[in-house]
Amino acid sequence: MCESKDLLIGFLYGELDAADRRTFQAHLTSCADCREELAGLRATRGQIASWSPPEPDFGFRIVRGAAAPPPAPRFRISPAWGLAAAAVLIMGVAAGIANLDVSYGGLVVRTGWNRGGDVASVQEAGAQALAPVDWSAQTAALDRRLRELETSARAHAPVQTASADDLSDADVLRLVREMLGQSETRQQREFALRLTQIAQDFDTKRKLDLAAIDQGMARLQNASGAEVRQYREMMQRVALAAYQQK
Amino acid sequence: MPSTDEELVARSMGGDLDSFNQLVLRWERPIYALAYRVIGREEDARDVAQETFLRAFRALKGFKGQAKFSSWLYRITLNLCRDWMRRERRTPVSQAPEGVDIIEMAGEGTPSESIEDLVSRHELGRAVGKAMALLPEEQRTAIILKEYHGLTFQEIADLLDCPLSTVKTRLYQGLSVLRKHLHESGVESTFGQ
Repeated sequence: MCESKDLLIGFLYGELDAADRRTFQAHLTSCADCREELAGLRATRGQIASWSPPEPDFGFRIVRGAAAPPPAPRFRISPAWGLAAAAVLIMGVAAGIANLDVSYGGLVVRTGWNRGGDVASVQEAGAQALAPVDWSAQTAALDRRLRELETSARAHAPVQTASADDLSDADVLRLVREMLGQSETRQQREFALRLTQIAQDFDTKRKLDLAAIDQGMARLQNASGAEVRQYREMMQRVALAAYQQK
Repeated sequence: MPSTDEELVARSMGGDLDSFNQLVLRWERPIYALAYRVIGREEDARDVAQETFLRAFRALKGFKGQAKFSSWLYRITLNLCRDWMRRERRTPVSQAPEGVDIIEMAGEGTPSESIEDLVSRHELGRAVGKAMALLPEEQRTAIILKEYHGLTFQEIADLLDCPLSTVKTRLYQGLSVLRKHLHESGVESTFGQ
């Protein structure tokens, strides 16, 4: 029995069944070696218990993987896109002021406040409003009106001059004031009319340009890198042409 | 009433991360202690403990529940310890604190323990650690699982994939060698007697 240590180790750890435990206890009463060994191993077990690991710094936890990022906005302005958009806006304003026709690879870009737009989406702004203002015709019309006024004044003059001698200085002054007053009223009316037309033209063109910029932005959103480069080159040409014309 | 390991495992398998973290909280100290006693280095033992839980978390779907969850964790830990020893090509070391802080020790002790008892207990602990490091890995592992984790012979046999008799032999041989080393080191203790 002493050769096999199964019962000894089982007894030491209390893992013998009842029958084996009674058998080994009976053996211990008659075997001094086993008693001594059992006592020595029990003492060793007691010593082993004093070995403790250092206190660790825990805090380890399983965390869920980074939460799914929120869905990206359909159109997000990256720095490059921001620059492109800013360039389009600036060039749009510059082109609006510049009054240019720029041909680029078969594509004609018409700019300027006084050039009619060809943007389909703003056709409802009114064909008449979109018609280009012919300043020479307007000047000629105004000239014609002035001539008519002069003719009309002459037509009245003989009557008055025929009896000029009969008129007192006060009558002459009154007539002159009336004529001046009529002329001034006409001029004011003409001026107000022109101001109204200019304001309407400006508003129409502003709507046109805003629509064109919107469409340009929409195109830029869908444009590939090559198209963006193309737009940029086109805008550079516009800027160069504007500078040269200046 | 706290949930059992099996309940927490079941909930973890259903995607409940809190349940798994409860298991981590419950088992991190035993797992770290096992790794520390096997490989003998605090930092490496902590890494092994963390890696154990990470692997368990990743492999949770494959846990069929034939063994206890703790046994499954022990198996992962022991495999990682073996990898560590193979990689480091070294035997475990007994890493004992250089300076013994009496005040800190007094806080750990029982109220009835004197300072002299505390100091001797720490010295004994260092001696045990050194003696354990001299044991062959199989004997050391068997003693650690039995003495510090309270596994039965059968559980150790299942964990180490060896016969029951082999476990008993390793325990007997390991304890006998420890007894001899500790006697030679001159430390005496009345613990457990």
